[in-house]
Amino acid sequence: MRFRSDFPLPDTDWPPTREFWAAAARGELAVPRCDACQRYVWYPDGTCRFCGSQSFTWTTVTGRGRLFSWSVVRRAFIPQLAADVPYVAGVVAIEEDPAVRLVTRIVDCDPASLRADTPVRVVFRPLRFAGVQGEVTAPMFVPCRNRPFGI
Amino acid sequence: MAADWGFPSELEDVAGEVAIAGVGEADHTKASGRTTKEIGAQAIERALADAGLTPRDVDGIMYTPFDGQQFGADDYRAHFGTTHEMWVSTAGGGMVWAGSAPHEAALAIRTGRARTVVNVFSVAWATQRADMVGGPGEVHASELFKQNLEVPFGWFPQPVYFATIARRHMHEYGTTSAQLGAIAVACRRHANLTPAAVLHDKPLTLEQYLASPAICDPFRKEDCCLISDGGGAYVMTSVERARDLRPPVVQVAGVGVGNSRTRVYWSQQGDFTATPQVFAAPAACRMAGIVPADVDVLACYDPFTIVSLMQIEDMGFCAKGEGGRFVEGTALHFDGGRLPYNTHGGMLSHAYVLGIAHVVEIVRQLRGEAAAQVKDAEIGVYGGYTGPQASTLVLRRR
Ligand SMILES: [Zn+2]
Repeated sequence: MRFRSDFPLPDTDWPPTREFWAAAARGELAVPRCDACQRYVWYPDGTCRFCGSQSFTWTTVTGRGRLFSWSVVRRAFIPQLAADVPYVAGVVAIEEDPAVRLVTRIVDCDPASLRADTPVRVVFRPLRFAGVQGEVTAPMFVPCRNRPFGI
Repeated sequence: MAADWGFPSELEDVAGEVAIAGVGEADHTKASGRTTKEIGAQAIERALADAGLTPRDVDGIMYTPFDGQQFGADDYRAHFGTTHEMWVSTAGGGMVWAGSAPHEAALAIRTGRARTVVNVFSVAWATQRADMVGGPGEVHASELFKQNLEVPFGWFPQPVYFATIARRHMHEYGTTSAQLGAIAVACRRHANLTPAAVLHDKPLTLEQYLASPAICDPFRKEDCCLISDGGGAYVMTSVERARDLRPPVVQVAGVGVGNSRTRVYWSQQGDFTATPQVFAAPAACRMAGIVPADVDVLACYDPFTIVSLMQIEDMGFCAKGEGGRFVEGTALHFDGGRLPYNTHGGMLSHAYVLGIAHVVEIVRQLRGEAAAQVKDAEIGVYGGYTGPQASTLVLRRR
């Protein structure tokens, strides 16, 4: 298997996820919503797994959610992540539909203080990797635990 | 309420039709320089010798096409110098298929397409590791949704997925690191008793486990499977014919397969801390006419400690969420534990051959030939897993 030379950066031209990365570049978090049943459908593989429709509208969401789970990654499993460890890779359930779980990074946090179901909000940060040309703006999340209204 | 995030496969009843009549393992080693096919050939030679069969007696072969390197029918003819046609199925190999292959073989034998079928699986991943993006992780990095929505965030490879699942299991059910450690310690103890195990000479105590640093929190390296070269094979034929062969008869009593609707996308599975064993195990037990409490020895595909814990729960050996408390102490040990588990050491401590050696071990247990032998084992179960699917194979001595 040959990987693109900019692996593990995402391919922002790949049609199924192009709108996700284009929205991130604008500072927005977007998820496809089924035109037939109005449900958010993730991952965007072209067919609604609830009703079978193939018509979707990419919809900007608030960027609020809950930290569903995470791992503090201390070993660089691939050399491109050597400069990143330790980092927090996590899964965030979005406020609009907790069944939609975004794989992401949790940033600006003390990993030891993280708790499941903590409210989080989106921030946009560049993905850069050791030895890889270029960068891509990506939605990441920060805990908002100490804010009185959860935002 | 029945879980709706997955479903069982509809399988024809094959209870009591076929037996596993021969088992063999290739040498399990660190990087050995051998090819996948050479390792597969050695496993088949040993399985045939165990059954007392000659290469000409086998007229069916099962393997998986997944890495393009597995030992198939052409390899069989070239290696063993045979010329006869063989029934071929690519629904064999390790992982979930190490458990479901006997169902496919039973249908082939029932309809006369084959009389005696070998299922084989081997890997040379320790040897090949240097060429890959992260060993077995390459398969995942090649999947385009993962490549574009998971890998860029560093949610990759498999240890990171399952550490995340373990963290959520801890949150929902109060599972602790010491409970995950009890699984690693039980498996290591069994490997220490099993001469062919890669970690045969490396003891592990719970204190050592807890003192080991996290590599991807909450996992330590002891929570994660080995990378090794090795393989295994088993030979299936009708129960009637198996009675004429040397080994005691071990029947295929039940097979079940479960499926997750969210396929390889672990992050989206409706129940994040469960496996499709929820759907596979009840079907297999129904076919076999048993309940989980009847099982004398269990072996599950165990890439990570949490995958053992979830399958033990999902197969019904305890209530969901009770797995942590269930596995504590010596509960999984071969000599007096309430559920002797991975009695060869599993993928954590025996060999990373993706479940084929688990089936070999269960057969040996039911024959009374295992290194860490469970007393009077009569019913043994293999739990296979790939993420999108799980399988349950119930074997019975009689
Ligand atoms: Zn829909």
